[in-house]
Amino acid sequence: MGLQPINPYKRYIMVTVKINGKEITVEDNTLILDAARDAGYEIPTFCYQADLMGIGSCRMCLVEIEGQKKLQPSCVTPVLHGISILTETPTVMSARASMLEFLLANHAMDCPVCDKGGECELQDMVYKYGPHKGRHAEPKFKFHEKDYALSPVIIKNSNRCVQCMKCVRVCREVVGRNVLGALGRGDHQEPTSFFRSFLDCDADGNCIEVCPVGCFMRLPYRYKTRPWDLKGADTICPYCATGCRMVIEHRDGEVIRARAQLGVGMNSETLCARGRFGYEIINSEARLTTPLVRRQRHGTLEPATWEEAFRIIKERMPSLGGNTVGGIAGARLATEELYLFQKLMREVFKTPNVDSGSRWDAAAVEGFIAATDMAEGGVSVFDCMEADTVFVIGSQVSEENPVTEYIIRRISAGRRMNVIIAGPRAMKLDSSANLLLRHYPAAEAALLSAVILDINAAKLAASADLTAAKDAKLDGHLKAAGLTIDDVRALATKLRNSESIAIMAGTEFLRYPHGIESLNLLKELLRSLGKKVRVMPLLDRSNQRGAWEMGVHPAFGPGYVKAPAPGLGISGMLDAAADNSMDALYIAGADPAALYPDEAHVKEALSKVRFLVVQDIFLTETARLADVVLPGASFAEKDGMLTNQEGRAQIIRKLLPPPGKAKVDLDIIRALGEMYDRSFGPKNAALVLDEIRRAQPMYADVSLAFNNKRNVDNKLDNKAALVKGTKAALTIRKFEQAASGQDAQYPFMLATGNHLFHSGRLTNYSKTLNDLMKGMTVEISEEDALASGLAAGERVLVSGAGFSVTLMLTVKKGTKRGVAFIAENFDAAPVNRFFRKGKGAPRVKITKA
Amino acid sequence: MNEGKGRFDIMELIKKVLFTDFVKGLVITFGYNVSMDSVITVKYPDEEKWIPYRRFRGLHTLNRTADGRELCVACELCSKACPTRCITVIPMEDNTGRGISDRVAKVWKVDLVRCLFCGYCEDACPTRAVRLGREYELACFDRNCAVKNREELLRPQPVPEEMSGGVVAKARLRTTPDGIEVVADLSETRKRRV
Amino acid sequence: MLENVKEEIQATLKKYPVKKSAVMDLLRIAQREAGGHLTREAMDEIAVLLEMQPVEVNAAAKFYTMYSVARPVGRHRIWVCRNISCSLMGSDHIMKHLEQALGVKKGETTSDKKFTLDVAECLGSCGTAPMMQIDDEFYENLDAKKIDGILKGFK
Repeated sequence: MGLQPINPYKRYIMVTVKINGKEITVEDNTLILDAARDAGYEIPTFCYQADLMGIGSCRMCLVEIEGQKKLQPSCVTPVLHGISILTETPTVMSARASMLEFLLANHAMDCPVCDKGGECELQDMVYKYGPHKGRHAEPKFKFHEKDYALSPVIIKNSNRCVQCMKCVRVCREVVGRNVLGALGRGDHQEPTSFFRSFLDCDADGNCIEVCPVGCFMRLPYRYKTRPWDLKGADTICPYCATGCRMVIEHRDGEVIRARAQLGVGMNSETLCARGRFGYEIINSEARLTTPLVRRQRHGTLEPATWEEAFRIIKERMPSLGGNTVGGIAGARLATEELYLFQKLMREVFKTPNVDSGSRWDAAAVEGFIAATDMAEGGVSVFDCMEADTVFVIGSQVSEENPVTEYIIRRISAGRRMNVIIAGPRAMKLDSSANLLLRHYPAAEAALLSAVILDINAAKLAASADLTAAKDAKLDGHLKAAGLTIDDVRALATKLRNSESIAIMAGTEFLRYPHGIESLNLLKELLRSLGKKVRVMPLLDRSNQRGAWEMGVHPAFGPGYVKAPAPGLGISGMLDAAADNSMDALYIAGADPAALYPDEAHVKEALSKVRFLVVQDIFLTETARLADVVLPGASFAEKDGMLTNQEGRAQIIRKLLPPPGKAKVDLDIIRALGEMYDRSFGPKNAALVLDEIRRAQPMYADVSLAFNNKRNVDNKLDNKAALVKGTKAALTIRKFEQAASGQDAQYPFMLATGNHLFHSGRLTNYSKTLNDLMKGMTVEISEEDALASGLAAGERVLVSGAGFSVTLMLTVKKGTKRGVAFIAENFDAAPVNRFFRKGKGAPRVKITKA
Repeated sequence: MNEGKGRFDIMELIKKVLFTDFVKGLVITFGYNVSMDSVITVKYPDEEKWIPYRRFRGLHTLNRTADGRELCVACELCSKACPTRCITVIPMEDNTGRGISDRVAKVWKVDLVRCLFCGYCEDACPTRAVRLGREYELACFDRNCAVKNREELLRPQPVPEEMSGGVVAKARLRTTPDGIEVVADLSETRKRRV
Repeated sequence: MLENVKEEIQATLKKYPVKKSAVMDLLRIAQREAGGHLTREAMDEIAVLLEMQPVEVNAAAKFYTMYSVARPVGRHRIWVCRNISCSLMGSDHIMKHLEQALGVKKGETTSDKKFTLDVAECLGSCGTAPMMQIDDEFYENLDAKKIDGILKGFK
C-alpha cells in the first residue's frame, strides 16, 4: 500500500491516509482538506479556494492529526503517508465555534440591511457550527460608518469583513489587476483600494463573487431584493466566445443579477464586467417589442402586426429567388436557430448565399477554420494550458476574452511553461508572458513568416545562396512587422525547445486574412518537427463557432460539408447589392451597417437591396435601413445551445418571455419557412437539436446534460461537451496583403476590436457598462503620447482619410509605437468609417481637439 | 375502573333527568335580566366601541423611532416568514435619514384578504418595525382596499401604545364620503363585564 | 517629494536584487523626509519607482507600527505595549495616566506637536511589564511616578 507511483511520467506518488478512521489513497501533496472532502467529510472554510494560493488565515478548517497536540489548518497542510486525521472531534468542533465567535466579535451584525443576507457563508456557518450566543460585550471596532463605493459597480462595507483576503488574492492571481490590498493588520486589516479611492480596474466584480460575506457588494444590485425572491435560469454569457456559465436572476420580470458559481462551468466563479453587469440589455427600454414595417418606399418604420409583416415579406421576398436572395445570421443566435436559418435559406429560398457575422470575408473564415483545426473537434483551453508553450497571437485576449485570459494567467503562474504573446497593443496578460512581441497591426503574416524562416534556418544554412535569399526575405518580414531578429529568434528558440505547443489564434487573422496561410504553415512545420501542436481559435461572438459548424457559410453546410455550389458571402452579397442585383436580404441578429469595415460601402449596398428584412432585439444601424424589422429574443428569453470557441456545446435556458410582441428567433424563422412550405421544421428547439444530432456526426454524442451542479474535484473541464471531429475538405486561399502604405501625414496605424466593457454594439444598451466606459476613447502608446505632447484624458481629434472624430485619449505603456486603437463598439464614433473595403489597416493622425 | 365508570354514568343520568345544565344556563341569563347596573352587550357602533388589549392581533402597523425615523429596514424577513405570502416588500436605498439605516422600504404592503393574523411577521422583524395593531374594522367594498400599503400603515394608531385596552370606549358612527367610520372617544371608557 | 534624496534612493535600490524589496527602506526615507509621516503622494511615488501598485505600498506601510500613514505625528512617538503581559501588569492604567499627563487621547498628538501617543502590540519586553517605547528607547517597569519623571526628561 502507498508510495506507489501510478504514472511514471507524472511522478505522482499515492499515499494512504486515514480520515476519521476511513482509509483513503490520494496523491502525495494533496491538501488534507481536499482529501477529506473527497472522502465525503465536510470541512468549513472561508479563505480556501482551490484556484487561489492558500493562506490558512480563517482557521475554520482546523483538524486534528493524531499524535500532534495542536490542531492543523487542513487547507495548507498536505497529507503524509500513514497519518490519521480526525475532522469531527469535540476539540475541532469547539475550535470552529470559537473561531466563529471571534469573527462575530467585530462583525457588524447588520444582516437585515446587508445585501448578502440569506446567502451569506458566515450566516450559514454560524447557523451550523457556531455559538448561537456571543460573549463579547466590548464595543465593536468599526472601520467606517457608511458604505463606500469602490467603483461604479462595487460598494463596500469593511465592518463585515472576515479577513479571508479572497478578494485581494483573486484580484492579483486571477484577474491580474492587483488593485486591492490588505491594509492594516490583525482585526484592523481591511481589504480595500489605495486610500479607499475609486478603483481604476476591470470592474469584473470577481472580488464581489468570492466575498463570503457582505463586504464587497454589487452596486447595481444594492438594496433591490433578497436572494430568495430571485428566480434564476442557467445560461451562458453571450458577450464573447469563452462561454462562461452563469446564472441570471430576475425579480418581478426585471433581471437584476448575473452571477457565476464556484466550481460550475469552465469559468468557475469568474466572469468579466460584460457578463456580470451587462444583463441590463434584457430589460432595456430600447428593446424592439413589435414588428416594424416601412409602408412607403422612403417612409418611416411603423409598428405593425406579425400578420402584416409576414404578408409583406411573402409579397416581396421571392420564394425561388435563387442567387438574388441572401441571408446573414448573427453569431449570437442559438445553434438551433442558426441551423434552421441556413435550412430556410438553402431549402426554402433555394439560395446558397448564407453567411454569419458581419465583418469577416467568407473565404477568410474557411481558411481560418482549416488553419485552426476547428473541423477536427473541440480543443479544451485546459488541455492547451498543459502544453510547454502557449503562443497567443492575433487577439487582444485580455479585452476580448477576459475569462480565457484569467485561465491562462492562473494556470501559467502555477507551472513552468512559456507564455508568448504577439500583438501590437499592450495588455494585462503581458505580465504573465515570458516573451512579448510587439508588431504592427495586420503584420501577423510577416511575424509568422519570419519565425518559419528562422526555424527552418538549419535546413537552409547548407546552401549559402539560400541563406542570402532567406536573409533578404527575413529582413523584409522583420521590417513589415516592426520587429528585430532577436525577437523572432527568441520566439523560434522557445518553439523549437518545446515538446508541446498550443497556439491561440485570434480574430486579427480574420480581419487581415493574409496571415492565415502563415499560421497554417507554422502549425504544419511544428508538427513536422515532431511537436504536439494544438490550435485554439479565440473568437469574440458567443456562438461564432456554432454558426460555422451549423453551416451558416456560403461554402459549406452543417458539419463543414462542402456545399454543391458555393454562394456569396457577406462581401459578395454586399457587392451584388451595390450592383443593384440583390432582390432580398434577410439579416437576423447581425449588424453589418455598424461593423462591416467600410461604412459607406455597406450602407450604400444595404439601401440598394430591393427588400431588406432585419430581425434583431434593438433597432440597430442595419435595422434602420430595413423594410421590415422583426423583434427577436435575447439570450435570456430562449432555450438553446451555444458552442464556444473551444468547441464546447453548452445550453442556455429561458428566464423570461420576450418583451411585448417579440418572439423567439427560432419561432420567427420557422414561421417564415412555414409560410412558403407547410412542412418546414422541425417545430421546436429540442426537435431541431435532434435533427442536428442525427445529421451531424460532430454533434452526435455531445453531452448536453445540463449540469449546474458543482463539477467534481474542482475540475472545470467537461470534455464530454466538446464537439467531435469530422472530415472536411476546406481550402486555405492565398490572400494578398492589402497595402497600407507609409504616410507621413498619418503617422498612426489604426487597430480595432472589442473594448473590455463591450461586445459589438449590443452592450451599448447597458447603462452600467456605459458608465464604466466614461466615454469613447482612442488608445496610443506612452512614447507616442510623450512625443506628440498629448496627455491621457485629453480630447483629441482622430482623423483619417475622409473621416475624423473627437475622442478621449488613453495612454498605454508597452503598446507598439505608431499604433492607435479605437474600439468598434462606439455608436457615436463608428470606427468602420475609417476603413476602406479591400484596403489594409487604415492610417490616422491624432491632434489636440 | 369499571366501578368508577358506572358511577359516572349514574351521575350523568341524574344530571340529565334534573335538567341541571339547562337550569344553570337559565340562572346566568336570568341574572343579567335582574341586575340592571351592568350591561353585557356593547352598543357598537352607534354608541360604543371595544378597545382590545395590547396583545390583540389586528391590522399591521409600521412603527417609527421616537425621532420619527422608520424602523423598517426592508429586510423582507416578514414576507419570508409569512405563511400565506401576503406581505410584499421591495427595498430601496435612501440616504435622507428616512429610516434607521440607508435601506428602507420602497414598497411594503399586506394583502389582508390573505392575512391570517398569525403574527409571524412580528416575530420575524429584527427591528420591531412591524406589529399587529388594534385596528379591527377592516371591512370594505372592494378587494383593492384590503391591500394596505406603507403610507397607511405608518400612520399613528388611533389607540396609543400606552393604553392597555380591554375596555369599551364611547363612540359614535360617522358617515363620510368614503364610507362609515366609528370614532371612539378614548377618554371615556368603561370596563366590560364578562 | 523624493527629489531631494535621489542619490540616497538610488543607493538604496542598489542594495536589493529585487526592486520590490526596497519598499521598506524607501518608506522609511519618505517618512523621514515628510517629517514623521507618510503622505499619499510619497507612496504613489514609491509605487512608480518600484513598479508596484500603490495599494501594495500602502499595505506594507499600514502593516508596521513604525510608519504613520497619512497622519502627522509629534516629535516623539510613544508606544504603550498593550499585549498580554503588560495588560496584566496594568498597561491600561499606564495608558490612562499618559492620556491625562499629555492631555490627549490614544492615537492623538499633543497640541505642542511634541508627543504622539499610540498603543503597540507586544514589544518583546514582557519580563519588565508594563513598558512603553518612546522613539527608539524602552522604558520599563512603569508606574505613574516614573512616567512623570520620564516625560519631564523630554521637556
